[in-house]
This record gives sequence, structure tokens and C-alpha cells, in this order.
Amino acid sequence: MLPDQQLQFAIVTTIVVGAAIVLGCITPALMEGRAVVRAFDNMARQPSVADRIRGLLFVVLAILESTAIYVLLICLILLFANPFAGIFGL
Amino acid sequence: MGIESVFPRTLFWLGDVPIRDSVLHTWIVMVVLLGIGVWAHNRLRIWDPKMWQLVVEYIVDYVEKLVVDTSGRAFPELVPYLTTMISFIVLANLLGMFPAMKAPSRDLNTTLALSLVSLGSWQAYGIRKRGFRAYMHTFIEPMVFMLPLNILGLVSRVASMALRLFGNVIAGEMIGAVMFMLVPLIVPLPLNMLGMITGVLQALVFTVLTLVFVVEAISSEEDETGVAHEAPGTI
Repeated sequence: MLPDQQLQFAIVTTIVVGAAIVLGCITPALMEGRAVVRAFDNMARQPSVADRIRGLLFVVLAILESTAIYVLLICLILLFANPFAGIFGL
Repeated sequence: MGIESVFPRTLFWLGDVPIRDSVLHTWIVMVVLLGIGVWAHNRLRIWDPKMWQLVVEYIVDYVEKLVVDTSGRAFPELVPYLTTMISFIVLANLLGMFPAMKAPSRDLNTTLALSLVSLGSWQAYGIRKRGFRAYMHTFIEPMVFMLPLNILGLVSRVASMALRLFGNVIAGEMIGAVMFMLVPLIVPLPLNMLGMITGVLQALVFTVLTLVFVVEAISSEEDETGVAHEAPGTI
């Protein structure tokens, strides 16, 4: 491959990975914030079940976080183990 | 070292099977857990227990309470299995904090193996509880064309559990590796602490998901409320 096409591949991959991380972490963060707000409100409203709510809150936060982790995984694959790098000779 | 040490590499070959360093680390975790089990075997006491016994009892009580909270009933046959699973994953994730070792769950093969064990366990519990034909019948439960969707649900559960654990652990290790390359002195400390927190949390999430799937496979016919096909309680 021409070095020009290799450079273009590298530039496009980098830009796409950067944009994907930024866009992909917006929604999980917002939704986690909403879950936490609702959890805190209800913990303050009923302190007797506050421990149960806190336990479930952490589990739900980890599950919501996993969508952001999926985006991170794809970006790591594109950066470090890109299946198309062999075609371009990189 | 660089960032390439985060990815697992093959150490030696046993015949045709490559042995990676993550396999070696899982052997270390297994030896530690088995050692604790063998050592504690005849040293448990009812009166005047020692500190380690209280720690172990706390973990087992926590898992038991988790089973009761999630399913509404107590399943005493699930507690040893879930305690083993959560101890293994916690130790595997925290192994990265020791000097010469890295977390074995940064290898997708390890987490996929754990997910497949989990899949096999809830299928086995369902088959043993309801019989083979009745359990296979639940795959075409509402209508026959739900069969590919149910199978896809199985595959997606296994894949999501494996990828979640793998992604969290390797993200933590990579952040640690990059921080050590940039500022090796004080800055990696809070990031390593965050890695430890997410390690324990992801072990808990893996165990809770396994528990939910096992309970869903065991009990939805003979609940005390008498309502059939009811998804078990709260998660």
C-alpha cells in the first residue's frame, strides 16, 4: 500500500475512535445520574430500606456502566488489534 | 515494559496447548483458594472464633442474604457455588495489585470460560429441577417463533457477562500501564484504588447475574403465590 493510504487509514481510525469514545460515554453517564438521583431521593424518603437500595444501586450502576465498557472495547480493538491493519500493511 | 504487557502472551506449550500467563495466574488463584479451604477445614470453631473465621462467615452470610433478597426464598444449595464464584473473581481481579502478577481476567478467554461455566450451571439447575423435556419446552414458551429469540437471549447473556468483566479489568490495567509510563510516582495510586473497587464490584455483578439466571431457571412454576411464569422478585 502507498504510504499515503496508510496515513489516511491511521488518521481516520484515530478520529473515529476519539469520536466514538466521546459520544458513547454520554448516554451511560446521563442515565446513571438519573438512577442515582432517584435512588438518593428514595433513600432519604425511607431510611429503613436505604441499605437495600444502596446495594441494588451499585449493581445497577455496574450494569449501566457496561454499555460504556462495550464502546471502550471496540475502540481498543480498533486501536490495538485492528483486523484491517494487515490489508494496509500497518 | 510499555502497554504491551497488559495483553496476555504465551509462556510455554504443553503438547499442542499454549499456556498463557493468565492461565498461570488462575492457577495461583486456585492454589490460594484451595489452600484456604484445606487449611480452614478442621480449624473452624463454634465458641470463640478467630478473626479469619469471622471474615469467611461474613462472606458466606453476604451471599446467603443476596440469594434471599434476590429470589424471595432461600436456596441453600446455591450458596457454596456462588461463594466460590465470587471469591474466585474477586481474587482474580485483585491479583493485579501484587507486584509480579496481573489480573487473569484481562484475558477474554478467562472471562468467557467463567461465563460458560455460569451458562452451564443455570442450564443444569433448570434441567435438574424441571426435567429435560420440560426445560427445553420453556424455550418455545409463549410461541414457537420465540425459539431463535430465546437462544439469542442466551448467547447475549453469556457474551455480555464475559465482555463486561473483561472490559472493566483490561480498562483498569491499561489505565494503570499508561499512568506508569507517564507519571510513575504518586498519580497511579488513586487509579489503582478505582481499579480495585471496580474489580470487587464487577465480581458482585457477575455473581448477581448468575444468581438471577439460575433462580429464573429454577423457579417459575411452583411459586407460593401460584402465579405461573412469574419472573422472580426484585433485582
